[in-house]
Amino acid sequence: MLRETIHGDIGESYVKAVHSSGLKIYILEKPQYNSCYAIFGTKYGSIDTCFSVDGEKTQVPEGIAHFLEHKLFESEDGDAFSKYAKTGAYANAFTSFDKTCYLFSCSNMFYENLEILLDFVQSPYFTKATVEKEQGIIGQEIRMYDDSPAWRVMFNMLLAMYQNHPVRIDIAGTTESIAQIDAELLYKCYNTFYNPSNMFLCIAGNVETEKILKMVESAIKVDNPIEIVREKPQEPQEVPKSEVSQSLAVAQPMFCYGYKLDAQKMPSVKDRVCIEILLEIIAGDCSPLYKKLMNEGLINDDFSFEHFCGEGYNAVIFEGDSFDPKAVAEGISAEVERIKQDGINKKLFSAVRSGLYGNAIRSFNSVESIAMQFVDCAMNDYSLFDEIKYLKSVTAEDVMKRIAAFDNSKTVLSVINPLGDE
Amino acid sequence: MSNKIISLGNGVEGLFIQNHRFNTTSVSFNFYLPMHKATVADNALLPFVLTSCSKDYPDFTALNLKLNKLYGARLDASCEKFGDCQLLCMRISVIDDKFSFDSDSLVKQASELLMNLIFNPNTQDGAFCDSDVNREKRKAIEHIKGEIAEKRVYAKNQLISEMFKETPYGIPKCGTVEDVEAITPKSLYTAWLNMLKTAFVRVHVVGNAVPTGLFEGIKEKFQQIERQNITDCKICKATVPAKKVNTVFEKMDVKQGKIVMGFSSEMYGDDDLSLPLMVMCDIFGGGPYSRLFSNVREKMSLCYYCAASSVRYKGFLTVDSGVETENAQKAIDEILNQLEIMKKGEFSQNEFDSSIKSICDSLNTYYDSQNSLDLWYALKINNQNLYSPEDIIEKIKQITKEDVVYAAKGVNLHTIYKLLPKEGVIC
Repeated sequence: MLRETIHGDIGESYVKAVHSSGLKIYILEKPQYNSCYAIFGTKYGSIDTCFSVDGEKTQVPEGIAHFLEHKLFESEDGDAFSKYAKTGAYANAFTSFDKTCYLFSCSNMFYENLEILLDFVQSPYFTKATVEKEQGIIGQEIRMYDDSPAWRVMFNMLLAMYQNHPVRIDIAGTTESIAQIDAELLYKCYNTFYNPSNMFLCIAGNVETEKILKMVESAIKVDNPIEIVREKPQEPQEVPKSEVSQSLAVAQPMFCYGYKLDAQKMPSVKDRVCIEILLEIIAGDCSPLYKKLMNEGLINDDFSFEHFCGEGYNAVIFEGDSFDPKAVAEGISAEVERIKQDGINKKLFSAVRSGLYGNAIRSFNSVESIAMQFVDCAMNDYSLFDEIKYLKSVTAEDVMKRIAAFDNSKTVLSVINPLGDE
Repeated sequence: MSNKIISLGNGVEGLFIQNHRFNTTSVSFNFYLPMHKATVADNALLPFVLTSCSKDYPDFTALNLKLNKLYGARLDASCEKFGDCQLLCMRISVIDDKFSFDSDSLVKQASELLMNLIFNPNTQDGAFCDSDVNREKRKAIEHIKGEIAEKRVYAKNQLISEMFKETPYGIPKCGTVEDVEAITPKSLYTAWLNMLKTAFVRVHVVGNAVPTGLFEGIKEKFQQIERQNITDCKICKATVPAKKVNTVFEKMDVKQGKIVMGFSSEMYGDDDLSLPLMVMCDIFGGGPYSRLFSNVREKMSLCYYCAASSVRYKGFLTVDSGVETENAQKAIDEILNQLEIMKKGEFSQNEFDSSIKSICDSLNTYYDSQNSLDLWYALKINNQNLYSPEDIIEKIKQITKEDVVYAAKGVNLHTIYKLLPKEGVIC
């Protein structure tokens, strides 16, 4: 197995290995900890609705990656939860836009748990009856999200921001789309995306690297690496709709205000660090805009922002509750313009950079956080210590260069209004 | 790891929870006050006002700038219900000095900052500053009103209010919108003085070492305060069983209904008295191996989620679930059927073993989270013995199937709360 050890200057190091199947493995040992966290995942999410293998193009129903995640917990010899029940581990899984991850955390019997994880994810078992049962359960899950204003406000924004890219579709799909899923389609997706060359295994905690690598060596079913072409429709730079709203049972309007950024290429770690700093400078809790919005009663502690990016999509999103979401959006746009004109306040830059550096150090307290950061590394070919490295060296000028990407004519304001207000 | 409580004054305790695995140190001040309708909102607002500014940092962005300069020191405020008390917590955590670019004494600075916020707030002439109070009042009101957006939390809180109406436990932990509206800069000042004078206080440090001079500094501060009528944290009344099951419902524009069921428990109290109830609740509706998950959700597909949780100190259990209206009655019947199975001891050895393993596994992970350790000891304030997670693991391992059945037999349905879609039929 190809392997290398990567050392950071915060007293931590990890091993990155590549199995002969192409599976990427990341391990960080924390011998002083009681717990371990492991994620076995695939670069396969809700946006992968159209793909080609060996020139054969396949279009699948929306929500199938999430459906597959649910179904994989069932194997011919029982479900994975009942296996974990014998070890006491906490197990779960999630599907996002671009990945599906199966995880467990435990403080005992790590290797038994790892064996369960590697085994069930590699043992698909779908029948007509089990697929039909799942359609009922996922239908309920979809309806639960339909009632969630926080979920709706975000997806309504994506729907308005993207014209063609599948990031505009709900991760779980719709009741209608999941009705089209059958066992054959599930196997087709499984055999394409669950090829080890498209997968990663990320582990942090009280574990022994050698023991894991030895286990993985024999537990991974070697398959011929597969070349997947992910078909992504042409996405215009413009936003199709700049405002969108819906009414639900909320006390005061909720909003998401997003800037569509250029998505031609994936942002580098440096790009991401710069955008993170920039967002803090625009609207972080020591920024002049934050002070103004808070004092005017336009935002509360639920106000937040994030950089949201993946294959073919790239955006920054500000979200929160406000009696006047439009005023918040206008405030953000005006601040973006002001910074473009006046430049970045050096004192603020320096404080924000220290703050983010501290957060990055703090994130190494948690084995879960380390494992999740490994997923990011595997998906984007980053190194775990890159963020800390760039936070030490980044300058205000580096950050200032990125603000040109924030175009006030490419924004979407999504609002959930209280019922009866429209 | 042995932790010893140090007395820092009348009803003021310090506890150093030594743990070398973290990159950070945290210091928390926990104030315990009795839950009263008249004071609940003022008390609840205090941690938020106190951690937003002080005399030295009158502007919240100046304070946030300072926190960023302290390498993203994290300042948290919270108000929780603890038995019939309110627990007001203010906590700061900061990366250890060795990680700073310039070897600043970060931990010392951070703990001094927290002390400064608590003991030296921005007050004048017996009142807090108008704009600070108004800002935090607005946020608190928005938070209370906003609860409705999270239907699962909203439904559970409605059940608790109904189940414990007209008792301290039924009071919402931050008060109602009207209670918050009634807060004035003067009433908040009175609440602050009352907190310093009468609250039971526990200060926790989790990390490598106690910041230099912290405990001595706290001792000195409290010596200057006339400490009296200290909160008795044991003033918690057990849940009274219902003479007749009370069912309430509410209709809302939602697609999926919620049902929350409240049960009284004859077993209640601290860890020495109530651990079997924890295991019972877990087998009943804890992990994926539980009776409710495997039967109500998996086998019968009646709900997307169906989970039980217990508040042992107060002696009650809740089961909350998301259901379609047409399945509501079936789900209630099946949840009660599963409780009967628990009472008869008809759960399997496998379910029992799974639960014990899962509880012990998760207790072990407390040592890997600074906040979890902090909260663990904050909620053990009433225990006769200061049990660590490891101590509890040993006790859990001693629990038998018979203990669990005994706990289950004392569990009885008390109140049902239903949140139903408007177009649905009432069942």
